[in-house]
Amino acid sequence: MFKKVLIANRGEITCRVAATLHEMGIRTVAVYSEADRGALHTRVCDEARWIGAAEARESYLNIDAVVSAARESGADAVHPGFGFLAENAAFAEAVAAAGLTFIGPTPAQIRAMGDKREARRLADAAGVPIVPGAEGADAKALVRAANAMGYPVIIKAALGGGGKGMQSAHDAKHLAEAIEAAQRVAASAFGDESVYVEKLLEHARHVEVQVLGDGKGRAVHVFERDCTLQRRHQKVVEEAPAPTLTADQRAIVTHAAVRLAEAVKYRGAGTIETLITREGHVYFLEMNTRLQVEHPVTELVSGIDLVRAQIEIAATGELPFEQHEIKRHGHAIEARLYAEDAANNFLPQVGVASRVRWPDGPFVRVDSGVESGDAVGVHYDPMLAKIIAYAPTREAAIERLLGALDDTRVHGVVTNLPFLRALLRAPAVRSGSYDTEWVEREFLAGFAALMRAPAPDLALAAVAIAEASGAPLSKPTANGAAPAIDPFAQLGRWRQAGLAE
Amino acid sequence: MKSHWRDGDRVREVELQPLGHGRWRVRVDGSEFELSSEAMPDGRLRLVGGAPAEGGSGVTVAEVTPEGARRFVRLGVLDFVLERAGSGKVRAGAGSHDGGLSAPMPGVITKVMVVVGDEVTRGQPLLALEAMKMEHLIRAPREGRVKRVGASPGQMVQAGAELVELEA
Repeated sequence: MFKKVLIANRGEITCRVAATLHEMGIRTVAVYSEADRGALHTRVCDEARWIGAAEARESYLNIDAVVSAARESGADAVHPGFGFLAENAAFAEAVAAAGLTFIGPTPAQIRAMGDKREARRLADAAGVPIVPGAEGADAKALVRAANAMGYPVIIKAALGGGGKGMQSAHDAKHLAEAIEAAQRVAASAFGDESVYVEKLLEHARHVEVQVLGDGKGRAVHVFERDCTLQRRHQKVVEEAPAPTLTADQRAIVTHAAVRLAEAVKYRGAGTIETLITREGHVYFLEMNTRLQVEHPVTELVSGIDLVRAQIEIAATGELPFEQHEIKRHGHAIEARLYAEDAANNFLPQVGVASRVRWPDGPFVRVDSGVESGDAVGVHYDPMLAKIIAYAPTREAAIERLLGALDDTRVHGVVTNLPFLRALLRAPAVRSGSYDTEWVEREFLAGFAALMRAPAPDLALAAVAIAEASGAPLSKPTANGAAPAIDPFAQLGRWRQAGLAE
Repeated sequence: MKSHWRDGDRVREVELQPLGHGRWRVRVDGSEFELSSEAMPDGRLRLVGGAPAEGGSGVTVAEVTPEGARRFVRLGVLDFVLERAGSGKVRAGAGSHDGGLSAPMPGVITKVMVVVGDEVTRGQPLLALEAMKMEHLIRAPREGRVKRVGASPGQMVQAGAELVELEA
């Protein structure tokens, strides 16, 4: 087993990976950019190494700097987290060339699945149905292909993942503009401006299957997640199991995922993303060759630590368990807390999260990357934390998550907390009747109206009294007590309750 | 003591009159009510009373965090953000004012699509700004001629930074 692992990432996922490494008795090395000096992820690791300037290209995307840090620290393996270099084959190669173990798939697998055309060919060969699409650097050719397949279409970075730069277009004119924008984001985020155009399947649900492979042709699945609640192709709420999946559909997607993973002799943890249409047809979207942001919901329903599984596979080349040993109980649901202003077109926010309190009740898990006083900067993804709740049923899990969000307090930087609370109270979410476009098509207008409601007079009174008594009135506390009295539970007309009458 | 606070796209007025022993007479946008406040050991405020239209006489735990011109207010489990009005700081918003166009958020300018002297039509993309995962196109709010371009590709800009000036 490894003695020391460098985590080539930042924020909450570095903290998450470090927690498992520490539990396994493995020492941890963090890396940080100039902007992340003193950040939480550097404090939770045993040591931390500076790798460059704030801009990601100079630091977290800088292969030489990260590999040098790994070598100099004496680490014997590198965990890439997600985002940044996690799906960069050259990075995986550089790690191996330095004599270290890359905790993840082989460079060839990363390359194959990172190339949409190759991924589609592999999926097709494994018997997984694929969506019509086209790839290339020539915008005009892509527009022609889209004209032929029919609108709407969706544009993705060919080498990307995680929804970065993804946009939909409903006609040729917007497609041309969207391709150009996607190419720039792709170039800056992935170092390659190739984009990919695919027919947008409407009224579909996003269901993905977690797989683990031993790299020798054996693979298991750890059931599925539903990530249908999205805004601008960014997942906001994820859950396991998928609430609308029939037993037949579950069998189809999980078997297809295992078939694909075994066909490519997949190594480590990966996710096969699919869209399931209203008619019940399953289409392969892509395979993510890394840990997913939303992996905790799978961990909670299966009891499997996916990071530990990744590490064990990397160290031993064996699957830690057989398919029949993987069981699923209850329901888990996750909400992504972002520093963005839901009342103002979800603009990313920067500032200092001067007072942060995370919820802590039973069966509530928080994977966070900030504490009170931490800066939230312009350079990286604005996700602050994931708040996850587990319960025997979906209904109870949603209730528990809402309670956890009530106990979540981030002051100093505006967050999407009001959006999450309103979303989880929406009747369509409760009943599970929505698709990947539902948030934008049906939820946002009503939510915007809620957000336009004035703050209660009492909020103004509280501010004025705080000012009169001399600010700052209260000391920042990392973990203040929950309010003892909540007279507002019944005051539904207030905007943030989302308790629209 | 009168103060003004930006609440979304409106400005609210609050006037406070101390009555002694932690009691206050409060007037918010013309509606008056009384309440008493007590600082709790952890610094939060225990408020008793309030506006009759909001349920009146209950007890509310309030927490106010100042951050620059902003005040983050938590009442019970609900959060609100108010910003001191007249402090000269404008909420990061649509970014169009007086013929000028400012950055809606901090980010990096990835593309400048116009030069001084260009005639532009309403809605025409002028610049592209990348912040975190998204690229945002800054479009002309109306037609006009580009009088000044205040940013170049690769440049990091702060929210509110003047990017393009248009003249009729």
